[in-house]
Amino acid sequence: MEKEVALALLGFLIATGMTLWLYQIDFQGLGHLTNWSKTVGYCLEGTKLFTNGTLFLQISRVDGPDTYGGFIVLVQVLYPNGTVVYQWNANQLGHIPKSDIHNEFSLHPAHSTGFALCVPLGQNATVILNMPFNISPGTYIVKVYDANGASAAYGQKWEIEVQAES
Amino acid sequence: MAQTVETTQKYLPILRVTVGWMFFSAFVRRTINVPAKLNPHSSAYVGGKLITFLPHAWGPVKGVLLWLLQNPPLLYTFLIMFTALEAIFGLFMMLGFLTRPSGLILAGLAWGIGFGGGWLGSTCVDEWQIASVEGAAAFMFVFTGSRWLSIDQLLYKKYNKGIKIWKFNIPLW
Repeated sequence: MEKEVALALLGFLIATGMTLWLYQIDFQGLGHLTNWSKTVGYCLEGTKLFTNGTLFLQISRVDGPDTYGGFIVLVQVLYPNGTVVYQWNANQLGHIPKSDIHNEFSLHPAHSTGFALCVPLGQNATVILNMPFNISPGTYIVKVYDANGASAAYGQKWEIEVQAES
Repeated sequence: MAQTVETTQKYLPILRVTVGWMFFSAFVRRTINVPAKLNPHSSAYVGGKLITFLPHAWGPVKGVLLWLLQNPPLLYTFLIMFTALEAIFGLFMMLGFLTRPSGLILAGLAWGIGFGGGWLGSTCVDEWQIASVEGAAAFMFVFTGSRWLSIDQLLYKKYNKGIKIWKFNIPLW
């Protein structure tokens, strides 16, 4: 009988422990509860800018629903004071040739839809965009907007500071 | 006490068949309803699901997911194996055949998914609920076995000590 009680308690502890551990890992449920699936989020880590006006936009989709894309409708290159150097609008982003989008994973690729640049959840893509002029070396900010009008989510801004390289 | 255990066993199929179906039906969806889910060249390929797990997957599991995604033949093998496990042990759970080991394997599958895609779910905290409840339910059957409306009850009648391996009696049913 003693053995049975020990076994039952062990089973109870394992199952309950898994439930709470997963709750913490998946949602920080025992701390600051966060549901990362509610709204789209992006990360621009690894983005590069060149003085000849070429932007290697490194974009990964890190938050939001899994069954529906994130849709980028505006990409901006800004001076540190916030003035726009150049920007690509929805029409331009909706018509990027396939050869200028390099996806890390072949499944669920980021692609132009005709209306926006669609980035599926989990995908990490390098998107090559060209400005029609050269820029001087220095610090710039690259920023993106989703079709929902946001440029930040979960306390994370979708922008990154870059040095223009020659 | 013996009477209580006997009575309790009669209510277990209420949960057991549903738990089994949760896994077995995944196999049915990928082979009968939408076979494209197992076709690597289709946009419905379930391999793509693993990409959506990546952003907030638990560290060690994220490494495994990346490794699978970077090796498409391996990813395919993994998906076939995962689907086969769901089919076999989901069916066993419904039939009440080798209920204890089936429960252990199904709990492993459910909790395993919880570490990868458990953070997904735009309505509620969906995938975590699925992983936790299915995991705990399947795990419970490791301890209860199934003694009613099951194949195991027949096996139990004939071999009530389980299978003897070396000098241990392993209660597989």
